[in-house]
Amino acid sequence: MGLTAGHPVEDAVTPAPLVLGSNDFGSVTDRVCEINEWKTPRAWYVAFGIALTLLGVLLAMVSYLVLAGLGVWGLNMPIAWGFAIVNFVFWVGIAHAGTLISAILFLFRQHWRTSINRWAEAMTVFAVCCAGLFPGIHVGRMWLAYWLFPIPNQMKMWPNFRSPLLWDVFAVGTYATVSVMFWYVGMLPDLSSLRDRAKTKMRKILYGVFSLGWRGSARHWHVYERAYLILAALATPLVLSVHSVVSFDFATSVIPGWHTTIFPPYFVAGAIFSGFGMVLTLIVPSRTMFKLEDFVTKRHLENMCKIILATGSMVGYAYLVEFFIAWYSGNMYERYTFINRAMGPYWWAYWIMVTCNVITPQLFWFKKVRTNLVGMWILSIFVNIGMWFERFVIVVTSLHRDYLPGSWDYYSPTWVDMMTLVGSFGLFFTLFLLFIRFIPIIAASEVKGVLPQAKPHGGHE
Amino acid sequence: MRTAPVGLRIGAPAFAKPGAIAAFIAVGCSGMIFGSGQFFESLLVVFAFLASISLGALIFVMINHVVGTTWSIVVRRLAEHLMMNIVYVAVLAVPVMCGIHHLYDWSHPELVTGDAVLTFKAPYLNVPFFIGRTAFYFIVWSALAIALFRHSIKQDGDGSIGHVESMVKISAPGIAIYALTQTFAAFDWIMSVEPHWYSTIFGIYYFAGSFLAINASLAVIVIYLRSRGSLNGTVTVEHDHDLGKYIFAFVVFWTYIAFSQYMLIWYANIPEETVWFRVRWDGSWKWVSLALVFGHFVIPFFALMSRYMKRNPRVLLAGAVWMLVMHYVDVFWLIRPAFSHGAARLVAADMTSVIGFGGAYVALFFHRLARYPLVPEKDPRLAASVAFENH
Amino acid sequence: MSAPAWGIVAVFETPAEILRAAEAVRDAGYRRFDVHTPFPVHHMDRAMGLRDTRLPWVILGMAVLGCATAVGLQGWAMGKGYPFILSGKPLFSLPAFVPIIFELTVLFAAFGAVFGMLAFNRLPALYHPLFKNRPFSRVARDGFFIVIESSDEKFKAEDVRKLFESLGAKEIEDVHD
Repeated sequence: MGLTAGHPVEDAVTPAPLVLGSNDFGSVTDRVCEINEWKTPRAWYVAFGIALTLLGVLLAMVSYLVLAGLGVWGLNMPIAWGFAIVNFVFWVGIAHAGTLISAILFLFRQHWRTSINRWAEAMTVFAVCCAGLFPGIHVGRMWLAYWLFPIPNQMKMWPNFRSPLLWDVFAVGTYATVSVMFWYVGMLPDLSSLRDRAKTKMRKILYGVFSLGWRGSARHWHVYERAYLILAALATPLVLSVHSVVSFDFATSVIPGWHTTIFPPYFVAGAIFSGFGMVLTLIVPSRTMFKLEDFVTKRHLENMCKIILATGSMVGYAYLVEFFIAWYSGNMYERYTFINRAMGPYWWAYWIMVTCNVITPQLFWFKKVRTNLVGMWILSIFVNIGMWFERFVIVVTSLHRDYLPGSWDYYSPTWVDMMTLVGSFGLFFTLFLLFIRFIPIIAASEVKGVLPQAKPHGGHE
Repeated sequence: MRTAPVGLRIGAPAFAKPGAIAAFIAVGCSGMIFGSGQFFESLLVVFAFLASISLGALIFVMINHVVGTTWSIVVRRLAEHLMMNIVYVAVLAVPVMCGIHHLYDWSHPELVTGDAVLTFKAPYLNVPFFIGRTAFYFIVWSALAIALFRHSIKQDGDGSIGHVESMVKISAPGIAIYALTQTFAAFDWIMSVEPHWYSTIFGIYYFAGSFLAINASLAVIVIYLRSRGSLNGTVTVEHDHDLGKYIFAFVVFWTYIAFSQYMLIWYANIPEETVWFRVRWDGSWKWVSLALVFGHFVIPFFALMSRYMKRNPRVLLAGAVWMLVMHYVDVFWLIRPAFSHGAARLVAADMTSVIGFGGAYVALFFHRLARYPLVPEKDPRLAASVAFENH
Repeated sequence: MSAPAWGIVAVFETPAEILRAAEAVRDAGYRRFDVHTPFPVHHMDRAMGLRDTRLPWVILGMAVLGCATAVGLQGWAMGKGYPFILSGKPLFSLPAFVPIIFELTVLFAAFGAVFGMLAFNRLPALYHPLFKNRPFSRVARDGFFIVIESSDEKFKAEDVRKLFESLGAKEIEDVHD
């Protein structure tokens, strides 16, 4: 490290600098905090209005569901899991990039994470909120959703700890809690910046309270850094476990197409893939809107494209191995399921999935695509679409062909299903826009740490 | 910026001379006196074990090129030699292919015709295709290894950045090719020993073990070389620490993969799948299974958790040797229950194969090591790699 | 100087200066001093002579507690509290308990890390004498501060000022409680 100091040339052994322009410690804080301090731009109000409208749609759909019952969804035997579970897995998957960037890249000393980890962590927290919603409303009588938790009750009943559905409650619950803590702890120094800069009484009080009196003491940093490192070390296996547990929901069953041992790592790769897709979708326009080109550089974007390429290829690997083993197993049900996926009534969903997840990301082999903002943004949308369809393919194609051909059916979602999915984006974007407005969106204190000036011995690290 | 010490070389130890290598091979082949059954069963285990180290080295080198890590430059040459040993492992594949009728039920037409599942699989599991695939894997891996090694050696001469670029360009698609070939190799060599059984995670399981094995091997090698007075001040405690972290991480990753495979099969409880674990729980195989749970996970997990342990060369050496032994037990556990139901047996040919073929592997490594500098001395990142510090 | 100061604060401009200053203050034998920086400066713990934190032990303890809780909760609820055979699994099914054992271990350990960190650092602390110091509002931005408290045994205002001056401090100010 330290090779970059004073040599903004980029070649195979000297990566481009992580922060461009003539930024120093002060200007980093200024640039980041200004976003929270400027007069709210009109575009933000427009976006927030749209997001709130969609959130209203979500509330309306959920209310309608409660009043009318689960029949307003397209579920019918044998497809008892439809949009709700597809959406749940979709959102949980998106929630994975945040902790991946924050924890795993941190452990791997990938310093480029510093400019994007706050976004990604925020996205994680909001995506978990959206994910948690769906099982909650899918249980039917959602006011009894607390039965999911092991709470002593007058019936002396306990949830079944041997069921993967309960593992999910613990996995997603733990993940949400740890992600919020990780996010918040990382934010403390930046909140104290906002506190020190606050002009109005309200901001002084709120940022003062939420920064917990952080004052940059080296004695504090000493413990803080240790805590952050261990938190990262804990979050890394946690992030692998969450989507593994989600995959157990399917893989512990005996349903062809669901019961396969590769599911845990394959789901994790897919989750990271979809999470990075969503990060890119959000960060490319925000970067331009808030003029953050100095911090979120081409190098950051290119690295994210490379991770999308890598994880997309892993997902492709899993598709291939699944298909091969379905044949190799010699089991006619396995074979039928996979041929039916590709050529049966849901062939279109399958091929959307393969195209968006495996084929189009291969364009990221080309540096031209990895450095083209519009190109990567479009491809990132494809990733989001592809990963939603992946979950649709897994959930629906395996269920719609029961062992008993008499119960075969074709699942189609109702308008309520559709609008609930759309509404969940409202929840996500409402939270995200609030985040952009009130919380430092770049981890300024960490970015300062990767500035060349930050090395006390001038690059002799 | 400190500069790296140059001209790091060692002489070939006595056991790395061509004559000694031939003697090792002879010891390995002497296992045949115990009967072809013992010999081929032992050989397959050693073959799969040694292949996993060289394959681990290949993916280790390629991943580090693509990610552009600095810390690993000082151990790259060591990994490259292990990677180049894939050519030797390819030679070992020849006797394995000779034992095909002993090792693989599906190679017997009379067994296949009476078995609907094996008949169905015959287009894949048949002798010519099997041998062809194995040859193909080795050609691909050797080509990758030789191409990477050639650039690395050329770089020793001219120190050009162009070689770094070329190695990255080879490695990126190389990883994709590797993922597929290694997976199918694991299906072919190991999984098809019990040809009715299947598990989609199996290729990743083999990968987890092999990546663990390469990091453990590197740790053993650097600590050994330092004890002989080489690499001091080049491969430091900081690099030990990183190797230790990778060993620890892949102990956990292996456990994650192994548990996923076991738990899903246990939970779904489908007879055609559970039989595989049933066989590994019968009789004394139960103790081997438990040895893996404790020796491959519980003990190393706690032993290698702390920073102190990873930065103490003696502890790290003990941990790395231990993991290599457990990795051998793991490969043994994957292959051998098929041949001895109900009783785990370590036979005489296992000794001769490990000492002979394993010894030749090590001797070849040192033979190669003596011919080239111990580190890529003109890599532009070497000085930064030497000065690398954990934080 | 009228009222006795709570301490004396000096302002530096770069990480290198503050690191050198911290070493000098440590070598001068002061104990009750602290450094304030916008980001963690490398090797500051060594420069200040800080001892390793015991936080990892707290986290380890919490991890063990989480693990025990998960085993106890699941074992008791499935074995004694509500014993039913479901999907043909034994009442005590270790493989099926592993995911929740893992999750609760991580959850408890993470609580240990976060709340342990806050406790060791005595946070939240919404009041601190330094917050009244005007230049100190730069601390999260680009200011590097070192403060020696008057409660230090060796504290003598003139000595401290002289030391800070010799280290090239940009500003030196008294801080009052």
